[in-house]
Amino acid sequence: MRRLTGVVGAALGLALVLASCGDGKSSGDGSGSGSKSEVIAIAADPLEYINPLNENGSPGIQVAMAMFAPLVTTDPESGKLQNVMADSVTPDKTSQTWTIKLKAGNTFQNGQPLTAKDYVDSWNMTAMGSNAWKNNGFFSKVDGYDALNPPTPDGATPKPTAVKTLSGLKQIDDLTFSVKLKVPFSQFGLTLQYLGLAPLPEEVRKNPDAYKRKPIGNGPFKLAAEWNAGDDIKLAKWDGYKGPQVPQADEITYRFIPNADTAYNEFLAGNVDFVDVPSTKVKSFKTDAPDQWVTSISSGANYLVIPAWDARFKNPKLRHAFSMAIDRKAFADLVGLSEPAKGLVAPDMAGYRDNACKYCEFDAAKAKQLLQEAGGFSGPLNINYNTTSATGQIFAEAIGNMLRQNLGLQVKYTGKQGSEITELADSRKLDGLRFGGWGHDYPSIEDYLTPMFKSNGDANFAGYANPALDAVLAKGDAEPDPDKAIKLYQQAEDIALEDMPLIPLYTKSNAYLHSAKIEPRVSKYVGVSALWATFK
Amino acid sequence: MIRFVLRRIVAAIPIGLVVTLGVFALVFAMPGDPLRELAGDKPIPAAVLAAKRAQYHLDDPFIVQYLLSMKDILTGNFGTTFAGADIADQLRLRIPVTLKLTLLANAVQWTLGLIFGIYAGFKRNGWIDRSLLLATLVLLAVPGLVAYFAAQYLFGVELKWFPVSGVLEGFPRSYLLPALVIGVLGFAGLARLLRTSIVETVNADFVKTARAKGLGEQRVLWRHILPNALLPVITFIGLDLAGMFGGAIITESIFNLPGLGQFMFQAIKLKEGGVVVLLSTLAFISFILINLLVDLLYGVLDPRVRNV
Repeated sequence: MRRLTGVVGAALGLALVLASCGDGKSSGDGSGSGSKSEVIAIAADPLEYINPLNENGSPGIQVAMAMFAPLVTTDPESGKLQNVMADSVTPDKTSQTWTIKLKAGNTFQNGQPLTAKDYVDSWNMTAMGSNAWKNNGFFSKVDGYDALNPPTPDGATPKPTAVKTLSGLKQIDDLTFSVKLKVPFSQFGLTLQYLGLAPLPEEVRKNPDAYKRKPIGNGPFKLAAEWNAGDDIKLAKWDGYKGPQVPQADEITYRFIPNADTAYNEFLAGNVDFVDVPSTKVKSFKTDAPDQWVTSISSGANYLVIPAWDARFKNPKLRHAFSMAIDRKAFADLVGLSEPAKGLVAPDMAGYRDNACKYCEFDAAKAKQLLQEAGGFSGPLNINYNTTSATGQIFAEAIGNMLRQNLGLQVKYTGKQGSEITELADSRKLDGLRFGGWGHDYPSIEDYLTPMFKSNGDANFAGYANPALDAVLAKGDAEPDPDKAIKLYQQAEDIALEDMPLIPLYTKSNAYLHSAKIEPRVSKYVGVSALWATFK
Repeated sequence: MIRFVLRRIVAAIPIGLVVTLGVFALVFAMPGDPLRELAGDKPIPAAVLAAKRAQYHLDDPFIVQYLLSMKDILTGNFGTTFAGADIADQLRLRIPVTLKLTLLANAVQWTLGLIFGIYAGFKRNGWIDRSLLLATLVLLAVPGLVAYFAAQYLFGVELKWFPVSGVLEGFPRSYLLPALVIGVLGFAGLARLLRTSIVETVNADFVKTARAKGLGEQRVLWRHILPNALLPVITFIGLDLAGMFGGAIITESIFNLPGLGQFMFQAIKLKEGGVVVLLSTLAFISFILINLLVDLLYGVLDPRVRNV
């Protein structure tokens, strides 16, 4: 659940988050021995611990991706779900209870066999609110979550509850367990590819803090050297990994370089093999590193968010007018590496329609007419932008100018910290428009519609609620046939587009640089990954 | 002497309290919720948020939070950052980095400042003096941010004379480039001050008297001019050394040096009052100690201030 409000262009889907970790070690050191090694630059502060269950940020999940194997994953070739640790994932007729059977013979890196108990116990630990682990929220769909997460008064420390386990989680035998959800959810199988659901072995579960710097995973790589605070993370191939898609690298080093421009310079100097292109280099990376760049199709969707609590924006015709007054092509060119949005979901999702949005064509005359029919707009229009983003103000002024010129609106701008904008919006006090973005955690159009448009959705930036849309979503969630489910989700998208609580703006590609030594995997389904890079 | 030192230290305590209280208030007044900032824009489950808020006392009133922070600092019980880093670990890791950078940068700055300042002072209006004036104006006008990135690109990426960033190549190699940039950007002020001071001293009556007594030029320079001309410079150097910490915030971020400046930057970004106050306290203590040292040195160089 990654919400990207205010940080235009920062949206990353899980697939892309995973992808963004890739980076190759330059030819400088260690490559003479014939072993395949790469250095991946991560533009973030160094990690403090490796525990995927307590980690939902991009850097932590990137490292988890190397060290832990998920239950299932998306096949980069076909885009279909592929088993990794799971042997089968089977829903019942209503998609409410899911049975997960593990492959036999998998172990942790300490040699212990990987069993259903490891999953059940690790998940129960995470679902216990008093542990304050970051992926706690994932389990809110599971039966019994509320008993482990009773409401706590402000300022009080949540106490461990008498109940220690999710009632919906049941171990059936050594290799089988089942998950009963609160309500039917046809997309649950897709969510199991999330690395934040990794199993922890028993010795780690007993004292997670003692293992925060010496994690025991079950994935293709293990720690190669002792890892201390502030160090780069050095990984070596682990032969015990028996899953599909074995990476080619023998060694991987994750280098943490908090300043993204500095990380980019490290690449140009030949010291790292893979790096994200920072927003400041979007216009220049192709000439900075000719023949050494790749781009991915999409990193989610970016929007202009309309506050539902402000009565001045109530009329849908006014929202349509705003939408049609925006020249998306010009705006996408300004952002760089972007395409005008034509719907509410990212274009690489199954179920995406090129013609979903009727009101996304630029038509100043029609926009003006719609605004008139809506009775005009009263008072100056405020556009909020994030002051910590280098481009926040530029983008705000670009949108403001279009609305001013094409609709004759009076526009003003307010710069604030991203977290302050979010806080104001969450308490329904934000005045005016702001930017928002979303990247999926699992590849389903449902992961755009539920968080953003369902009443009280996780990332319902606009404070939007429509019972008709909720009802169609629930039908889609209960529909076991994937094609029929997509049809229902598309109906929900149509309702949201008609109400237009968010105005679709653009979808942005991600860009990466890679050294001549490696060729990162580029998949239209999972984006770009250096972890699975091909060595030349 | 000991009484003087003790008096200064005791006098620093109330100032320290005011400073830390002020810094804490500034951090407290910053907009935005620190835990939200930490999570990016991701929704955080209520239970996790409640547990974290309670752990870091974020729901307590301002003054309680401040007192708890001070208690932690005084008892040496630093705890962890919001991101889970052990603060004592971080200090052990980061203090040497900042010390190495600061001392090397200061060595560069003092060397350049003393050489150019003394030379320009004695040969005023010569070409070195005039070039120095020009260089001073240029250097003082270049924004640090631009200079750091330009130097990193030119000497790290293009010429490959220095590592681009990080401390992988150890001391002094990893620290040379940032230290040189800081030193070059900073020496101009010192050189100008020293030049002016020397010019004033050279024309002072006691120098004329010394010369009239028939003392050799070397003796006049080393025993009469320099000790007097250096007095204001020592104050400047003391303040400068103490102020280096502020500059380290930008340098350490751009050159990816895991020092206290980078730590401070993260802490401010995350609104982490406890860490900001801890680092401010460290900065304050070093400021007090350096200034004490400067005053003691002053007494050695100038007997007139010994009993003030």
